Amino acid sequence: MKILIAIGGREFSKPTLDLGMKIANSFKCSTTIAYVGKKISQFSEKDVSVVHQNLDDRELYRPGIRTLEWAYDFLISKKYIEEKDSNKFDDYLLVDEENSRMKVLLKGQQSDKIDLIMRTGEIIEQLKDEVETNKHDITIIGGGGNKGIHQKLVQFIDSSVFVVKNYSVNKKYKILLPVNDSMGSDMAIETAINFAKSYKLNVEIVSVPEGKKSIEEVEKILKKTKEKFSKNRIKTTTKLIDGSAVDSIVNYAKDDSIVILGVSPKNPIMKYFFGSKPLSIAQKCNCPVLITK
Amino acid sequence: MNESYKVISSSILFWFSQKKWFVYSVLISIFLLNLSTPVGLTVPAYHSLIILLLVFMLVTFEPIPFPAIALLTLVLQVVLGVAPPDVVASSFMNDAVLFVMGSLMFAIAIVHQGLDIRLAKLIIKIFGKSKRMFLAGLMTISAILSSFLGEHTVIAIMLPIGLSVIKNIDTQQADGKNAVLLTLFSIAYGTIIGSIGTPSGGARNVIMINYLQEFSNVSIDYWKWMKHAYPILMIQLVVAYFVLQFTFPSSLNNIKMRGFKKNVGKTDVKKNINHLFSCLIIIGIVSSWFAFNDIYGLGIIALAGALTFMIFGMISWEEINKNTNWGVILLFAATISLGFQINETGASSWLVLKFNELLATLPSNSMNVSWSIMAVLSGLTANFFTSSATVSLIGPMAIELHPTDISFALSSAIASGFSFLTVISSPTAMIIYSTGLVSTKMFFRVGTLMFSISIIILYLMSQFYWVKL
Repeated sequence: MKILIAIGGREFSKPTLDLGMKIANSFKCSTTIAYVGKKISQFSEKDVSVVHQNLDDRELYRPGIRTLEWAYDFLISKKYIEEKDSNKFDDYLLVDEENSRMKVLLKGQQSDKIDLIMRTGEIIEQLKDEVETNKHDITIIGGGGNKGIHQKLVQFIDSSVFVVKNYSVNKKYKILLPVNDSMGSDMAIETAINFAKSYKLNVEIVSVPEGKKSIEEVEKILKKTKEKFSKNRIKTTTKLIDGSAVDSIVNYAKDDSIVILGVSPKNPIMKYFFGSKPLSIAQKCNCPVLITK
Repeated sequence: MNESYKVISSSILFWFSQKKWFVYSVLISIFLLNLSTPVGLTVPAYHSLIILLLVFMLVTFEPIPFPAIALLTLVLQVVLGVAPPDVVASSFMNDAVLFVMGSLMFAIAIVHQGLDIRLAKLIIKIFGKSKRMFLAGLMTISAILSSFLGEHTVIAIMLPIGLSVIKNIDTQQADGKNAVLLTLFSIAYGTIIGSIGTPSGGARNVIMINYLQEFSNVSIDYWKWMKHAYPILMIQLVVAYFVLQFTFPSSLNNIKMRGFKKNVGKTDVKKNINHLFSCLIIIGIVSSWFAFNDIYGLGIIALAGALTFMIFGMISWEEINKNTNWGVILLFAATISLGFQINETGASSWLVLKFNELLATLPSNSMNVSWSIMAVLSGLTANFFTSSATVSLIGPMAIELHPTDISFALSSAIASGFSFLTVISSPTAMIIYSTGLVSTKMFFRVGTLMFSISIIILYLMSQFYWVKL
């Protein structure tokens, strides 16, 4: 499994980086930490590039490097990377790769498990390209900023998207798993099983009877899902909740929930213009939300 | 749902989300093409104005690459019957385009020599007595150099100097943050203000000189431009110094000039010789702009500068080729070509007629009102559209307002250089923004005051100083 963690400002990205690295560590997967720099107008892109080269030559940090240095120090402080004299960040080498991608290489770096990269341009385009080129399975991004970014990420990126909102290191979390009979829901169940096993988290399975579905049918789905977890020796509770799917799940989710949802099976064009239930839940919930693909 | 349908529709949606402004611009153009031609306009003139609107939208929102916009402009001029292919081709290349090309190459060659270290030594020697003097020196030197060599050259040389002295400042504290902003804005404002000083300060100046020559048969040489613009530059510098000191009050205790002195000591004999030759070439080119621009044109002289660096092996063609923004050159060439057609088809005269009709409805209609609207419009458009492209497209209208009075054309070009409001308006603003230390809001907040004062200075100078020249 490969994980992409997108970071922005320093303190602002701490929860995203912390949760991202915990997931990466428990699944023992390779991780890319990406900083996407500001989009440069075409009028000035060559001028900016010349200035940045000049800054490198003068051993001055080019924009974005300080954020990656902060991320690197954070990984050392949390012991995700072992600190040695040979792998100090001061001795970094910036390797220009294709499509505005730059990789930070540290002289003493031996492990390929964690990559620090820098990209410049429009954030959705850059993260989409990163996921497509390096086949990441999960993209982890902070919950702040422009809400439209999360919608576009879920719509266009070929990986699961984890929106880290209001995450606290000291809180004991439980998984909130809304289910129905869609294919997306099956994928969410699989992911929730993996997460629950790795972190020993309790799971709450919920379902909302909607449309023509009878309460019996929904209870059947809940029972079937519970059995899947029981087979993996994971403790679960089930609940059938009333109301519209989005509002009732948003109201049910607490600050200590991690909501795991499947991607909507709706037509992509309808999703783009009118949104989808998973997306609305991700936008309205005040807790971390993972939309699986 | 069929998986391939999902993939295809998702790809189309992604293309649409990235290119939506291209789709909107094309739809608006098609809609306008289907309307009847306004009274007083010929069909080619109407079509040239539709292309102008299309280019404005595409350059502002950048949904497609600049070379694509340039090619589209040329293709549409011919396809929509604005001008025959030969006329479009001949208007595509002139001295202003050669100047854009030459100055970009010349800038890369100069920056490549690493003159910033030597320049930093000089600034410390002259202005190093106090930190406030040092910042004033950074601003003044940036302005003087930018007035002759252009913004992109100077910002590339000066920014490393600025970042060296602020590199260890803690920006979490207000005093430190203000020291960082004061340093960066001193360099940025110095560079922006300087670019109005001489024709070679910015491509927009050369484009306007070229238009004046072509449309009104008025010739403005290097010295004449300087006499008009340099006093404005000097007043603006003093004002900018106080505006920045007022906006970013700081003790400047955190600025480390001593640490920077250590860095600047690392020079060797080969570098010294290289720097000496570079300075000689720069002096030679600037002198030629003064002395021979009537004979050879500013563009050819700028090209000669880049050529000299290459002949002496001081920069390789690969380096120049890699760092030259060919897309911008193509775009300027195409917009200048469109500017010529807007004038030739009579579209600019029609716009000016409508503008004057609009002015007639105002209670107080005078030259001053039309000057103010034109100058503010040029300045604002340049801030949201970039300065050179603004002049290449609305320059013909500014000349048409008063073809024999150069103050309108000069004011339009100079006001277009007041890139204080947005980060997209000039390479300097974008480079400062790209450091991540200056936000767009901050740029706009300080810039609004500077822009307003600059327009007032320009107005007063055009009314009371230019008339005496």
